[in-house]
Amino acid sequence: MNALSQKSWAWFSQALTQHSSFSAYFQPLIQIVAPQWTTDAYRASVVDIRDELSDMYTLVLAPQAGWLDKEWPNFKAGQYIELMVEKNGARVLRCFSISSSPAHYARTGLIELSIRQQYKGKMTPWMRQQLQLGSFVNISAPQGDFTLLASADANKKLFIAGGSGITPFRSMLQQQALNPSSLQTDQNIHLLYYSRNDKEIAFKHELASLQEQHPGITITFIDSSVEGFVSADHLLKYCADFHQRTAYVCGPSPMIQQARKVLSELGLSSDKVHFEYFGAAPIEIENTQQGVVHFAASQQVLVTEKDNTQTLLEHAEAQGLSPVSGCRIGVCHQCICKKKSGVVFNTRTQKFSDTGSEEIQLCISVAQGDVVLDI
Amino acid sequence: MTIHLASKRPNAEALKGFEEKLNKVRDDVMKNIGEKDANYIRRLIRIQRGGDILGRIALVLGFYHPLFWLAGVVLLALSKILDNMEIGHNVMHGQYDWMNDPHINSRKFDWDIWGDGESWKRYHNHEHHTYTNIIGKDRDYGYGLLRLSDDMSWRPKNRFQFITYFLLSSFFQFGIAYHEVAGERIFFGKKKEKSSLPISRKALKESFFGKIKRQVFKEYIFFPLLAALISWPMFFAVLAGNMIAEFIRNWWTSSVIFCGHFTEDAQTFDEKECENETRGEWYYRQILGSSNFEGSRVFHILTGHLSCQVEHHLFPDVPAYHYLDMSKEVRKICKEYNIPYNTGSFLQQYWTVVKRIGKYSLPTEAEQKLA
Repeated sequence: MNALSQKSWAWFSQALTQHSSFSAYFQPLIQIVAPQWTTDAYRASVVDIRDELSDMYTLVLAPQAGWLDKEWPNFKAGQYIELMVEKNGARVLRCFSISSSPAHYARTGLIELSIRQQYKGKMTPWMRQQLQLGSFVNISAPQGDFTLLASADANKKLFIAGGSGITPFRSMLQQQALNPSSLQTDQNIHLLYYSRNDKEIAFKHELASLQEQHPGITITFIDSSVEGFVSADHLLKYCADFHQRTAYVCGPSPMIQQARKVLSELGLSSDKVHFEYFGAAPIEIENTQQGVVHFAASQQVLVTEKDNTQTLLEHAEAQGLSPVSGCRIGVCHQCICKKKSGVVFNTRTQKFSDTGSEEIQLCISVAQGDVVLDI
Repeated sequence: MTIHLASKRPNAEALKGFEEKLNKVRDDVMKNIGEKDANYIRRLIRIQRGGDILGRIALVLGFYHPLFWLAGVVLLALSKILDNMEIGHNVMHGQYDWMNDPHINSRKFDWDIWGDGESWKRYHNHEHHTYTNIIGKDRDYGYGLLRLSDDMSWRPKNRFQFITYFLLSSFFQFGIAYHEVAGERIFFGKKKEKSSLPISRKALKESFFGKIKRQVFKEYIFFPLLAALISWPMFFAVLAGNMIAEFIRNWWTSSVIFCGHFTEDAQTFDEKECENETRGEWYYRQILGSSNFEGSRVFHILTGHLSCQVEHHLFPDVPAYHYLDMSKEVRKICKEYNIPYNTGSFLQQYWTVVKRIGKYSLPTEAEQKLA
């Protein structure tokens, strides 16, 4: 459809249904036969929930396809999805890397998400307990560019994983193992896998057997409680040819910072270091934290001081932005804006928001740490 | 007569306790908001969509038997009433924003009525809910057409305000659409020194005409033409059916709203007295300026629970289904603090509205003497 007919169609739908699309109008009716069906995401059923560690589980999902469900697009190893789950009537959204391979999806129609239960987290422990087998959740199209480069010089790779940051690498390794030609010994993969102790290592046996079957894959398990975090010593000791490799790093933010610092100090150029921040944003906040408010649409950035209780509306206006606003006391809902990520404190309800993407009222929201807004 | 708030309201200490008790009523309900509420609003939307679709089919089936046509009008009117009141009004107040649903939220929702949702939110949610019944601030007070208090000076046109009221209610959707964009300002250029408009006149005009165009296309052109494919006289049958359904809805919404703020005892306020109000004082004013009416649950749903106007004004973003239970608590608290709580049957309340329109259609004695 060209742009003009698309526009007329949207007008037609708006005129007849007050909705931007006919499917939005019919959504509540379609949901009678297809639970969780939605216009803005794909549907997947929960096929299995498997424990990996005492605090980590794998969610096995089957993206739906059929006359009601549009087909979920193909993904590349290393990409993530937004998982949308309805908890007590409210849609909550979290991002997770897909921990299984595209080849596995092609063969079985299943994808896996391996999820660490956040301590005092709102969602991850709840999902482990409450998600029912056979129930439906929503997923976004695959996203993210933490994927393997196809170019020739990127053939030798160094993977650095920390804890649950192993998930995108599991997908990549599985995919590479199915394609032995890419795993000749001179084009190999070396994985440095950091875990918090020597007992709780997700996918340990699976990874060990991959290593046995494929000479092109080398895995070094590193126990952080004994050997500490990423260091120059580790690289020199376990993967001496790291400077010939393209590095991929995934794990908790401090670990990524550390790895980037070490690699850069060792002379690896930054275009050869790829990384993916992982894990949920902070959950426990006591006081207003210092942070960065990012106004994404207008490309402005503001650093907030600690214990600054100005609302996001005031911040936006101080930046010279003029978001629509009204009563400024949380009654009229005109200043509602999409928060892309981060935690805000609602001064009216005296509650902290969720970390994911959702709509907030700017006039009664105070940033807690870093916040990204779509204005 | 505008009341002197400061002399009437309880002292500061009592108001503080009053505020805390009302806050607790709200918190107790909000604590338990969740799946039940989500399922409730979804179910209502399903019923409304079902009524909309079946109603339009039934209108066309009027071709076979007029009773179908009649059923079609009733279904369509009911669907529009549900859409405007329990669904649209409440969703656009942000009562269901916590669901984080892409279509059931105050930002996206638009209702099946001429008034554009965005403009309505701008005026109604802001001006009317913040400045409830403050003469000169709350433009909803009498809609700039009716004199409902002797704070507005009498003009000869007020003599005929029963006719104005009849016309306003019959064409309420136009009245609302015009009123919420402050039509007299944007079309006739009564420019205020300080414009409080958050968006340009041009944008306001566009949303005003854009929405009316779409609604006219749907109700008076598209569906009648679709029916004309069966036989051409059906064009008029469907056109008439749609218009009657709108007419029913117009009178219904107008009556519900008039009973909420323009009953005999609903008070009006002076702007100066409302500056720097505490939350308790704000609560107090909201209660004095609103009135409730009673009925069955279905009746309450059809009013969008605006039958609990007092609770709606106290807690505009609490899912409205809870107002009925909350009203028992609020009433108790009002009694405790000796604050009048205005309620009665729909007919009683409506009768006092009629009386009020009648009373103020005549000048006060002082004004009569002057004349």
